[in-house]
This record gives sequence, structure tokens and C-alpha cells, in this order.
Amino acid sequence: MSARMSPDNVVVRSLAQIGDCGLFLLKILAALPRSTRYARETVRQLWFVGAMSLTIIMTCGLFVGMVLALQLYHVLSIFGGTAATGTVVAISIYRELGPVVTALLFAGRAGTAITAEIGLMRATDQIAAMELMAVDPLAYVVAPRFLAGLIAMPLLSSVFCALGIFGGHLVGVNWLGIDNGTFWSNMTATVDVWQDIINGVVWKSFVFGAVVALIAVFQGFTAPPTSEGVAYATTRTVVASSIAILALDFVLTAFLM
Amino acid sequence: MSQRKSYAVGTGLFIVLGFAALAYLATQTSSIANRYAGATYTVDAKFANIGQLKERAPVKIAGVRVGQVESIGLEPNTAVADVKLAIDLRYDKIPADSVATVFTSGLLGDQYVGIEYGHAKQYVAAGGTFSLTHSSPPLEEMLGKFFGAGGAADAIGGTYKVTAHFSNVGALSAGASVKMAGVPIGQVVSVVAEPTKLDAVVTLAIDNRYNQIPDDSAAAVFTSGLIGSQYVAIQPGGSPDVLKNGDEMILTQSAMQLEDLIGKFLVNGSGNADKKDAAAGK
Repeated sequence: MSARMSPDNVVVRSLAQIGDCGLFLLKILAALPRSTRYARETVRQLWFVGAMSLTIIMTCGLFVGMVLALQLYHVLSIFGGTAATGTVVAISIYRELGPVVTALLFAGRAGTAITAEIGLMRATDQIAAMELMAVDPLAYVVAPRFLAGLIAMPLLSSVFCALGIFGGHLVGVNWLGIDNGTFWSNMTATVDVWQDIINGVVWKSFVFGAVVALIAVFQGFTAPPTSEGVAYATTRTVVASSIAILALDFVLTAFLM
Repeated sequence: MSQRKSYAVGTGLFIVLGFAALAYLATQTSSIANRYAGATYTVDAKFANIGQLKERAPVKIAGVRVGQVESIGLEPNTAVADVKLAIDLRYDKIPADSVATVFTSGLLGDQYVGIEYGHAKQYVAAGGTFSLTHSSPPLEEMLGKFFGAGGAADAIGGTYKVTAHFSNVGALSAGASVKMAGVPIGQVVSVVAEPTKLDAVVTLAIDNRYNQIPDDSAAAVFTSGLIGSQYVAIQPGGSPDVLKNGDEMILTQSAMQLEDLIGKFLVNGSGNADKKDAAAGK
């Protein structure tokens, strides 16, 4: 906190933020055993960040799949390779677009809400009140939200991918007239369950979920207790999450490939 | 109470939906969908060249998928590819003299093993071998039969250098191979423009083993296949003297531009296109 207020340059301040964030992660992990008694709260948060995000995730997944099929069909038709549309749609959604777009949407839809909620709890002294009542805010407020993000992201990403494939099928087969059997058989011949689905969809989105949830709770918990401070913290959640997602995506891809 | 119940149910539904989506992705859109629940038996097939065949590539009979390639190995002594095919037990009536062929789906598609039925009364058993196989015909080789190309450059020992002038080398670059009768005998060392004659000077390094090339041999720039790289082909002449280090090859044939060739057949060929462009430029 003190590091952020000191008039250092932007590099030092960013480093201090990252350091604070890392320490905060350790605190959350330490608070996880204590938060087991608030499992109901975790379920409520899962409902809020996961189930309530389904609409936007499904809509976006559908459209991403549709536009991918549309674009690829026209490019691949140059080479007479439209039969590969299904394969390329599936691979690009599983490996990149599914986890990344879901994580970006998740940061915008759920991350900001978490930051604003915790920031306002701090600003309206609810956190201080909890501490007075000997309720650990890390265990009751922060850990359930972090856990919910961790669990929700892979599930949301899977739903996104399934809808993406559906959208790709809709445009590719029903609209542009790719053969249905070719679409599926080329896809199933190429998509590898370990490489593409476990490493791509599940593992990537798990990491993204952890990062977005961590940034959201950290920004909320450390937001200055003013309306301006909460507004800044919410903005920072989106910016920092987006940068972290895209940078981590490259690193993860390099490691997982 | 009812408030809590509703979100608990909703959360449960969300988790179930998420896992259902994941299960769908994993089982319906991935290679698991192609895995056989039924047992398989393994049959060997030996190929001289498997091309781009990969493990888990499909095995097809009459175009129907009946199994997959289990493993690909090399027999060290005979230099033939040993391909193990895992075939569904339901298809256990394959004649022993059936022919296994490495096919390509389409022009640019993946390769698979096709089995054409023979006429023998015996069926091939688990652990058996398809003794009749057709190897993968590489596209370059097939095209090479039309264009006079094929093969790849090998390691080169001592070389001697000759030069050749071309009015057009196309996309020829240093490192391209020099071939005679389709066999690589050397490589292109440099391609530079001649400032006075306004043509291209290509320096060829030819393996010392091939030092009996007549000095009236012709050098031509060819393309391997339709979209392959370009190389220099040497067509031997009849002179009793042979090419030596530093000699120049007099007879050359420049690169044929695919565009020009096509243009000769098509009415709206390159010549007209130029005029059209010029007209459009006005």
C-alpha cells in the first residue's frame, strides 16, 4: 500500500503492485482452509460469477464460431480446402479463442463486479465490521470469490467452445454447405483430447480464471475507500486482467505446445 | 431459504452444464470419437515409402474407416517402413492377399492406409502381414514424371565450379540443387546479375564424382512439381571434352514462367493482361 502511494516511477509502482498481488495470493491460499466453513458463500459466488455469466458466454461463443467458419470458408476456398473448416474452427477455438475470449469476457463481466463489490465493502466499512466481529474477511469475502472464479472459468470456457463449434457448424454446414460428415470427421481426426481440450480449454482457462479472480479480489481489497478509488480499481481490474491474460496466453502456449 | 435454494440449484445446473460441454468436446469433437470401443487385431504392412503417414491415421476399406495406424517403425536392415495396423475385430474376414496402399485424401489432404481386397480364401490373422503393399506415391515424384524432376540433394564432397548465363532464372536461389537425369549432383553457389550483359550468372558447384560431363551440355532452370522449388537440370551433350573447374556452360535454357506457359493456352493470357493493365493505367 505504501509503495503505491510513494511518488515512484511507474515501473517501481507496477513491480510493487505485482509483489503485493503475489503476497495477497499467498494470504488467500492460507485462508482457504478457514473458508471451508463458508462453502455456502462459495456456491453463491459461483452462481453469481459462473451461472450468471452463461448468457454472455454462450452468445459470444456462438458468434465467434460463426464468424470463424465464415472467414475460414472463404479463405480456404481459395485453396479448395473448405473441408478443413471444421478442423480449423475447432483447433483455433480450443487452443486460443475459447480460453482467451472467455477470460476477457469473464474479467469484464465478473471481475469488475467482484472488485466493485469488495471495494464498496471496504468503503462502507463492512470489512472493518467483519474484522470487529472476528469474521476473517479473507476467508469470508475474498477466498470464496477467488475459488468461484477458479471453478467457473474452465466450465464457462467449455460452454463457450461447445457453442463455438455449434456456431461453426451452423454457418459451415447449414449455411455454406460444407458436407456434414466431412466437417465432423476432419475435426475428430485432428483434434487431440490431451493437446487441444485438456491443455487448451481446461488448463489454460483454469490459469486465466485464477489470474482474473486474483486480480479482481486484490484490486477490490486494496482499493482506496472512496468512490473514485473504487472506480479506478474496477478499471485497473479490466486493464490488468486483459494484459495478464494475453501475456500469459503466449507463455502458456509456448510451454504447452 | 428459498432464495438460497434457487441459486444452489442454478449453480448446480451451471456446473452440470459446464461438465456436459467439456464431455461433449472431449468425446464428440476429438480423436476419442474415432477410437474403437471394440477390440482390434494388429496386422503388419511393410512399405518402401510411407510419405506423410502418421500414427492414428485411418485405415480404410472401400473408403470406410475400419481401424487406425498403431505404430510406424523402420526395419533397420532392409530400410522399409514397418506399419502396424490396428483393425476392428468386426472386420476379420480380410483376404490374406489384400493390398495395403498409402493414399492421400485429396491433393493436399492427410494420408491414410487403404486396403483393397484380394481373392485368397485365407484371411489375414492377428499378427499377420500384408505382403502386397503399394507405397505412398509422393506428389513431387508424380509431377516429376511430367516435369523431369524428383529427388533431393545429397551431401556433397569435393566440387568443381562452372558458370552458366541465363536470361531469366525465375525464383532460382543459391543452395538450389543441380541435377542430372533427376539425380542431384551439386548445388547452386551463387546467382548474380551480370551488369554488362544484363543477364543472370549462376555458379554451379558440381560433385567431383561427376567429372565426365561433356562441355556442350545444356543447363536449364526447372521447377520441381507445380509449386516446388527451382533447380538447375543439366542435359548432357555429345562433346568428347568434359567440363572443368571455371568453365562456362554455353547452352542454357531459362526458367519457364508458369504464368507465361498458362498464358499461351489461355486467350486472356499474360500478353493481353499486360495490355489490359496498360489500358487501365490510362
